[in-house]
Amino acid sequence: MRHRSRGLRALEPLAWVGPAIVLIALVVLWPVVEMIRSSFLKISKFGVVQGGNGTANYDRLFAEPDFASIMGRTLIWVVAVVGLTVIISLALAQLFNQRFPGRKIARWALIAPWAASVLMTAIIFRWMLDPEVGVINMIRRDLGFLDALGGASADPLGQSATAMPWLIFVAVFVSVPFTTYALIAGLSTIPGDIYEAARMDGASKMRIYWAITFPLLRPALTVAALINVMNVFNNFPIIWAMTRGQPGYSTSTSTIFMYILKNRDIGESAAMSVVNFGMVIILTVVFLKVTRWRSEVA
Amino acid sequence: MRTRIAGALGLAAVLALAGCGSSGTGEGGGQNASSGGGAVTLKMVAADYGSDPNAENAGAKFWKGIVDEFQAANPNIKIDVQVINWNDIDKQVATMVQNGQPPDILQTGGYSGFVQDGLLHKVDEILSPNVQQDLLTKFADFGKVDGVAYGIPFVSSARGLFYNKELFDKAGIAEPPKTWDELKAAAEKLKKSGVSQPFGLPLGQEEAQGESFLWFLGAGGGYKDASGKWAINSPQNIEAFTFMKGLVDAGLTTPNPGTKDRKTVWEDFAAGKVGMVNGGPMSIPIFDEGSVKDKYGVAPIAGKTGALDTTLGVMDWIMAFNKNNHPAEIKKFFDFFYTGNAVQKIVDNYKLLPVTKGGIEKLSGDEKLKPFLDGLPNASFYPFTDPKWPAVQDTIKQTIGGAVEDPAKVLGELQKTAETG
Repeated sequence: MRHRSRGLRALEPLAWVGPAIVLIALVVLWPVVEMIRSSFLKISKFGVVQGGNGTANYDRLFAEPDFASIMGRTLIWVVAVVGLTVIISLALAQLFNQRFPGRKIARWALIAPWAASVLMTAIIFRWMLDPEVGVINMIRRDLGFLDALGGASADPLGQSATAMPWLIFVAVFVSVPFTTYALIAGLSTIPGDIYEAARMDGASKMRIYWAITFPLLRPALTVAALINVMNVFNNFPIIWAMTRGQPGYSTSTSTIFMYILKNRDIGESAAMSVVNFGMVIILTVVFLKVTRWRSEVA
Repeated sequence: MRTRIAGALGLAAVLALAGCGSSGTGEGGGQNASSGGGAVTLKMVAADYGSDPNAENAGAKFWKGIVDEFQAANPNIKIDVQVINWNDIDKQVATMVQNGQPPDILQTGGYSGFVQDGLLHKVDEILSPNVQQDLLTKFADFGKVDGVAYGIPFVSSARGLFYNKELFDKAGIAEPPKTWDELKAAAEKLKKSGVSQPFGLPLGQEEAQGESFLWFLGAGGGYKDASGKWAINSPQNIEAFTFMKGLVDAGLTTPNPGTKDRKTVWEDFAAGKVGMVNGGPMSIPIFDEGSVKDKYGVAPIAGKTGALDTTLGVMDWIMAFNKNNHPAEIKKFFDFFYTGNAVQKIVDNYKLLPVTKGGIEKLSGDEKLKPFLDGLPNASFYPFTDPKWPAVQDTIKQTIGGAVEDPAKVLGELQKTAETG
């Protein structure tokens, strides 16, 4: 009797933790298992399972002539967007942390690109870059940078060399508000008396920033950048709305490629998802190692 | 703190599960009631032929009219129509089928991809013999896979060369080009007179496979050769793209054609910025809304040595999925649709062409549609019946635009995809 009740008591925490574990298993682990499983199945275009397929889906994926360039582009895309976002946000956060007239309005205005739907923003930019009627092209023409509308020179989204910078610009544009706000929150946790002490000791402004502000901001910066890495890696609407990954696959990232493959071969698309998933995990681990996450945040 | 969060999560999970349970039984009860009462709801998904979802000719309005009329005559059958635009319909239907919830009736651009999986009713099960006989034979034959009909031709289209008469006059071009040489000469004149896109060339994702096929036909090529083998990189096709490359390099076309959708280029034509573009009866409403209304003409498509005597017959299909097993009700609706005035309404609204002998006869007096109706008997078609076509088409849509830079390489890669895919 006594023995049994002790056993029950040992199980008691399970009653509290159990539902959470079940929930995690259901909404996190199960889809991952399903994704990995379907990457080894032969599935028709309309989702009917036609049996096992061994590693054929992966063989086909790795044999795609555009696979290597797409993975390389994905890496560049993530590094460029997150890097630029962080640099711009650090400067903006510093600016918005100063007292100046109209700061409240400026802070609200900063939210706009964040509050607007990303898909909408991307469509608006595509429209502004339209070779015939795009307002950006009209301005370029009026300033004398463009001979005439309608030609290839008025079509930055038509060539990957000019489309990628625009895609990266839009991605930075929509990522900056969140990152800046995270950093402003970080800045406001730094106690004012440290600055006072530094000034008493006669530290220069640059010295104060690099010796006090930046190190104390690192936890906030790490978290904000990590969220950006994952968001940007999985970003779909910007590229899809602006170029559909075209011309060819030359503006496709692995997420876009996975979506295009889904129309053709679900098994291969699932294999791409698994590779994608693995890459997010690797990127995250590398990122946390580089930023020494444990000593900074935990 | 931690346990408290876990507890709250647990409670949420229990609530969510309870919610699922109750809604599940509710649905089950509803199903029982409907089968007992004899009323059947058919779910239908249709493509939107209208120019935009809010327009007077929007697909949703069109189908509501047809369905209301049908339901008034057949109170036991309800039809629930979901209209989806052409850009999204393939993906959304694929998602429905992947989730095991296909519609009962589907009206879209292809049917063959579903046949392999055994998802469709045979036409004999869902269409009366007299209606089957009224369908144009050549078209109906394309609805068969291995001799069994699964797809019913819904409407067809044909293609022609639209040209802007005003821009042609300004550039001093007397008549629309019949050969490629004439086409290039006309494009050069248009360019000189200040037209930014002398020839509209949409090779982007929306319909690159159609535009490419028209050029293939012009050189005597196609997606398959006479023996039915894939011939995407045939010498004729490479010749066609080499000619197009010349146009693109000279700045005589839409810039970067591999990224431009048909819709965008047609809109540019409607705005008077494009000299010539391949289009169909379905582009007439778009052009009539723009500034080129009454200022454009239609001619047969220019070929390498002369105007084409064939055209791209793009037919759309209607089909029925067998999952919910309502063949009798579906047959009633299909017979109603093909024998009534519904097809006539489609022609009036969307300038699409009928696929029934009766329908063509009724239209023979329409001068505007005559060039297209004339092309129909000798139309060329995509290799629809090949189960690989949907996947091949998808690859074509993504990559064939690159063939205006390197014809042999890109068409060669597509050929390899078609042969191995």
